[in-house]
Amino acid sequence: MENGFRGYHPFVQFFYYICVGTLAFYFKHPIFLATACLLVVFVNLTHDYGKALRQWIPGLLVMSVFIIVLNPFLVSRGTNILFYFRGKQVTLEATMYGIVMALSIAIILIMFISFNLILNGNRFLYIFSRILPRTAFLMMLSIRFVPLLRRRLSEINAVQRIRGVSVTEGSIRARAKAGMLTTQILLTWSLEEAIQTADSMKARGYGIGKKTAYIPFRMEKRDWSWLLALALLFLICLAGGFLGYGKIIIYPELGTLQFYLLDWVLYGCMIILYSFPLIVEGREQLKWISLK
Amino acid sequence: MDIFKIDDLSFRYPDAEEEALSHLAIQLKEGEFTVVCGPSGCGKSTLLRLLKKDLAPVGSCTGEISYAGKPIMDWDDRTMIEDIGFVFQDPENQIIMDDVMQEIVFGMENLGYSNMEMRKRVAELVHFFGMEELLHAKPSELSGGQKQLLNLLSVLLLKPKVLLLDEPTSQLDPVAAKDLIVMLDRLNKEMGITIILVEHRLEELFAIAEHVIMMDKGKVVYEGTSREVIYDIFQKNDQAFMQYVPSISQLYIQRTDTLEKSAIPLTVKECKQWLAAQPNHASTEANQAPIESTSNKEKPILSVQNVYFQYTKTTPFVLKNISLQVTKGEFFTIIGGNGSGKSTLLKACIGNLKPQRGRAYMGGKDTYKLKGKELYHKIAYLPQNPRTYFIQDTVEKEMQEVLKRQQLPDDTARMTEVLDIFGIQHIRNRHPYDCSGGEMQKAALACMLLGNPEILFIDEPTKGLDPMSKQNFAQILHQLHEAGLTIIMVTHDIEFAAKHAERCAMMFDGTITTEGTPDELLKGNYFYTTSINRATRASHVRESLTLEEALSEWPNPVHI
Repeated sequence: MENGFRGYHPFVQFFYYICVGTLAFYFKHPIFLATACLLVVFVNLTHDYGKALRQWIPGLLVMSVFIIVLNPFLVSRGTNILFYFRGKQVTLEATMYGIVMALSIAIILIMFISFNLILNGNRFLYIFSRILPRTAFLMMLSIRFVPLLRRRLSEINAVQRIRGVSVTEGSIRARAKAGMLTTQILLTWSLEEAIQTADSMKARGYGIGKKTAYIPFRMEKRDWSWLLALALLFLICLAGGFLGYGKIIIYPELGTLQFYLLDWVLYGCMIILYSFPLIVEGREQLKWISLK
Repeated sequence: MDIFKIDDLSFRYPDAEEEALSHLAIQLKEGEFTVVCGPSGCGKSTLLRLLKKDLAPVGSCTGEISYAGKPIMDWDDRTMIEDIGFVFQDPENQIIMDDVMQEIVFGMENLGYSNMEMRKRVAELVHFFGMEELLHAKPSELSGGQKQLLNLLSVLLLKPKVLLLDEPTSQLDPVAAKDLIVMLDRLNKEMGITIILVEHRLEELFAIAEHVIMMDKGKVVYEGTSREVIYDIFQKNDQAFMQYVPSISQLYIQRTDTLEKSAIPLTVKECKQWLAAQPNHASTEANQAPIESTSNKEKPILSVQNVYFQYTKTTPFVLKNISLQVTKGEFFTIIGGNGSGKSTLLKACIGNLKPQRGRAYMGGKDTYKLKGKELYHKIAYLPQNPRTYFIQDTVEKEMQEVLKRQQLPDDTARMTEVLDIFGIQHIRNRHPYDCSGGEMQKAALACMLLGNPEILFIDEPTKGLDPMSKQNFAQILHQLHEAGLTIIMVTHDIEFAAKHAERCAMMFDGTITTEGTPDELLKGNYFYTTSINRATRASHVRESLTLEEALSEWPNPVHI
């Protein structure tokens, strides 16, 4: 079994991502969001030292800057005018709104990078076979066909090259024709082979009655306790947000960034919620260190 | 008790002229290990499929099949699926899911087992199969043998009472095939599962089978225990079915003074015991015939020089520093297990791969750079699966296409001539996919030889062929070789290589470990050798590699 955050039940992980995603759009306070963004980046770092995130950083930066810059130029609502651009007012409120938007979207994207790393393959299927069982099964079948078709195609190309049918040489017309021929062989061959796959499914009772699902994952005590804790924190955040905490008034005039007591409580709850993977991983690291 | 009782069963495919099965009457006992064999198209697979209700082919069927005393049509679907398991020929095609764990529980999920039941069965059987390591692998990463074991495992999880297997080892190398057969033997002996196995490769199976059925043209020709069947075949001197008899039994039958049914050896051990009782001849002459110097000074037609190859940067090297030379007119064979890199080597030879280091040269030219005319005038390549070759919908059109592409005249006489050489005139107007494996192979070869190539590459030609087609194919190869064609063959079929090759190379772990004549290379091995060699090694008779050699070397019987 895998360690740390990866070792938890897919439901707990899935719920964590739901919480993260919801709160990213629920809170509208730049400090809240900036903290959240920082935390999801840390979460990503614990998965694979940020290898997957690194590929996305340029895109994320460009996108954020784009939103932050573009919003005030397109929207001219707000009271505090910073300057005029071609006769249009550029307001502090619109800039702030851009920052909040950019942070929310950045959090969601970084979250999905982590989602991709954690809930992959089997875990993803496990979650979605409950929601969309047929689609999940179809997906599994199609994924299976990718390596099969690729291998068959390379075999066909090897044989046909010797015959003089090749997609890498000759005129464009000849290449296109060769491509058509290889695809034709690939399809007829694969269809022929697929009959066997269908037989194999039939022989093992596919479609005979109601299907059950093998559950390779078990909800353990720690899964339940974390699920409960996450749910509780999530509820507090939602309730607090409902009362207007964790948000700032942007339009028509920017409110204060100052924290009230309940803001602090919400802030704390959000940090704990977002840091769930960090806490788990950190505890494990400490255990290893103390074991040495 | 009879688990299957087949009574006057006849079956005819729609639009077929002849019956695929005619008036069969067979009884199969519970807990028996039955082997069904016969040439391709004899109806053995049809019979096997008829035993499994869900896979029964479409056609007109008369007579009755009963399972445990009740006609199979009266049984409910669920019991039939659970009780009768089916393993198919191709290891790859039967795998449905993209995850080993998902794959093995697939059947149980379909039948709606509870989670606890599934966990229990998985835990038990995965351990029995020793497949814990593979649970989290992708099916595409497994070897052929592992895939077939996975298929067997996923069928066994439904706790079947009967296992039907349709040529399960035909795509496997000898080591993997042996593993599978040993596993089947264990299942039969330890769990009492009835096994009905359709198979061509019988050398080891005769020793395990309790009940052998030989079929031809939809009828049972021989039936009984292994020894009874072998005895009957010999009594009738039936050359067609003699092919199926293990070579060690053949040696005994042809050379023993007192033929006794119960003494027919089926295993190497039994054959050795019999040989030990024979008068001692081994040390009378020097064993080694002088090996004619094969150091040919001729310029090689194919020369591979220090080739290294890996598929991607991070995966290990599949080929490591391989060099080999093949002279004109040679019959060169590369043997080795699945995954030893021999097919990759073949692809590097014909220039389908670009090696990381080193090159393959043919007549002084890098094969990777060969194009168009140079390529198809020089090389013919018969792949493992001849299906990949055909573009047209009849064999004749295919041949016309080849002639057109090679800018040769549309020569009907030449086509007829080539078809005659291969003896496949009858499939001239058939769709290649409708031919049997052996016919398809010959048809592909016929098309390739239209342009008179200089060198023929063959990849695993004996996979899935019955003994008759195999011999037939070997004869054709001999003819071509006699006519001066250079042949390079890759195979894991040791008996085939031993019989036909001039020079062999053994591949292991990406390199050619040794090279020599079949005699030098194969004699004395434990596994990569023939059963005749295993039996005659260190015995009272001269060590031989093939049955023919053993028979000719046999000392003249001394009559007293």
